[in-house]
Amino acid sequence: MNKKTLITSILLLVAFYSFSQNEKLDDEKLSINKGRPNYIGVTMGFGAGNFRDFATSPLIYNGNPFYLSLSTLKMDNKRETESVFSFAFGNYNSIYNNHSASSNVYIFSLFHSELFQLNKLSSEKWNVKIGGLLNATANLRFNPSLLNNDFGYEIIPTLFGSMKVTRDISRERVKNKKFLFIKYKLKSTSRNLAFKLNVGLINSAYRNGYVYTGQSSILNELKAFDDYQFKFFSGFRMNTVLDYTVALKNKNKIQFSYLWDAYKTGGDFNKLEMAQHTFKITLLFNTNNK
Amino acid sequence: MKKLIICIALCSLFSCEKALFEEDMASTDPKVNFEYLWKECNEKYSYFELKNIDWDAIKSKYEVKIFDGMSQDSLFNVLGAMLTELKDDHTNLISNFNVSKFGVKYLGQDNFDWRIIEDHYLNQDYYTSGPFKHNFIDNGNIGYVRFASFPGTIDGANFGFVLNRYKNTKGLILDLRENGGGAVSDVFNLLNRFVESKTLINYSRIKSGPEHNDFSEDEPVYISPYNGIRYKNKVAVLTDRGTYSAGSFTALATKALPNLMLIGDTTGGGLGLPNGGQLPNGWFYRFSVTQALTLDKNPDYENGVPPDIKVLFNWGDLTKDEIIERSILELQ
Repeated sequence: MNKKTLITSILLLVAFYSFSQNEKLDDEKLSINKGRPNYIGVTMGFGAGNFRDFATSPLIYNGNPFYLSLSTLKMDNKRETESVFSFAFGNYNSIYNNHSASSNVYIFSLFHSELFQLNKLSSEKWNVKIGGLLNATANLRFNPSLLNNDFGYEIIPTLFGSMKVTRDISRERVKNKKFLFIKYKLKSTSRNLAFKLNVGLINSAYRNGYVYTGQSSILNELKAFDDYQFKFFSGFRMNTVLDYTVALKNKNKIQFSYLWDAYKTGGDFNKLEMAQHTFKITLLFNTNNK
Repeated sequence: MKKLIICIALCSLFSCEKALFEEDMASTDPKVNFEYLWKECNEKYSYFELKNIDWDAIKSKYEVKIFDGMSQDSLFNVLGAMLTELKDDHTNLISNFNVSKFGVKYLGQDNFDWRIIEDHYLNQDYYTSGPFKHNFIDNGNIGYVRFASFPGTIDGANFGFVLNRYKNTKGLILDLRENGGGAVSDVFNLLNRFVESKTLINYSRIKSGPEHNDFSEDEPVYISPYNGIRYKNKVAVLTDRGTYSAGSFTALATKALPNLMLIGDTTGGGLGLPNGGQLPNGWFYRFSVTQALTLDKNPDYENGVPPDIKVLFNWGDLTKDEIIERSILELQ
């Protein structure tokens, strides 16, 4: 049994263990599900990232992409379901030895996450959830310096094992404070700090074959994924999210986050490495007013 | 347990992709760049066997010219010269101060002068329709169409206008001399006006592994008739050593199209699709990664597509274009 299979098996066992907690009756579950607050999230962000596509260059390209996303979130202390479509775009540059090249990068990502509370590690202030996340990321890159290889793209599907730790840092009472001679009052607020770690269990990649550009253009039958190959177990991916969430009086929420996402595809050649650091702000609109 | 979770979380949060990714490979070291370029070509260039190139011997020849501290210009000259050994104009080294090239058109004599054609055949009132310059010649019996490059802009309107204008002529001259190529999509948009049924024109294969002879299966290339104006009379396609890449693809296809004949000189070749990349020092390179094959699956035309009728320019008489003259005779 290789290392990857062993790690996958252990994480799956942990997940099965967590799911085998006290089962509730179906009607009761339905009632709890209905009562779970629903949100629609609108996110804007900005960050820094880098990538390197060994199929065309050993050099690292750096950029500052903008980030937008739309999400649905259904969550309480027991369970959390999130679906997100995100789009990031930016110009990435390689500047080295007085030579520069530029790549316009567009990153589309679609993911769905399910998390369940781990009772034994949770308390009044702490909430630990584990579960999984399925993510498909598509990158499009346009780099005119690469001549016939100017257009590159790939799809990176990943099944993650996830763990989220949330700390309730709400201020339950009004506090009167003083800074120099200025007196001010801190109102009670509901807020929390959460850290989520996602580790790729099944890292797949849909990438070009041996040669970066296929030959469909000279075959008079253009194909988008000419000579592409799907590799089920290929590479590694990991991401972390740090969220600071404040509940508003109208039952909506505002969330400030830092996201780090890094992945690389596998194989001996044509590897892709990509990393993004994103600071984002999300408005979570409560749609069932719970 | 909670403390452990916090520790893991913080470590993960501040962990850096440097631990995950391979080390930075950016380097101006001449040896590193030489090795990188040689290996890329060794594993992906498609015509070593056809051109009988001993790439290991080439490595030995140029490796001794690499030394620590050599100037960027010197390194460029060594790497550029190494690529020139591939005798392929789809092979270039590109820096911000120079571009290396082979110069296949110099393998034959110059067989084209646009000014002679303007002065003695077209007159100056010729039409320009998109990428085509054209007019009647031979007292209106023949249509002459100059197509100087493949810009990817052939469309139904401009080429339709051209063919409609010469629909009553005895024949058409399509002049591809000194056409260095461009967008391969134009090849098919050009040729689909000269076929009446789906026609197999050649085969193609692409590198699929690191060995010099690792290729994909031979893939057939077809042309289907354009659903609109088509030209059904004879067409003389003029070529010379400067007819390259997409120009050579067009010349290769004429061998399978009965109404088209090739007149002039052997083309420059360039039937391999070029693949671009970057070196550790930031320079760019490209070289061929495919092979176009004839209908009997032969890659030989990479060295130039031979004409059906060979005619060379006589530079002693600047009032005549011998290739056009011969074409007029053939189209009667």
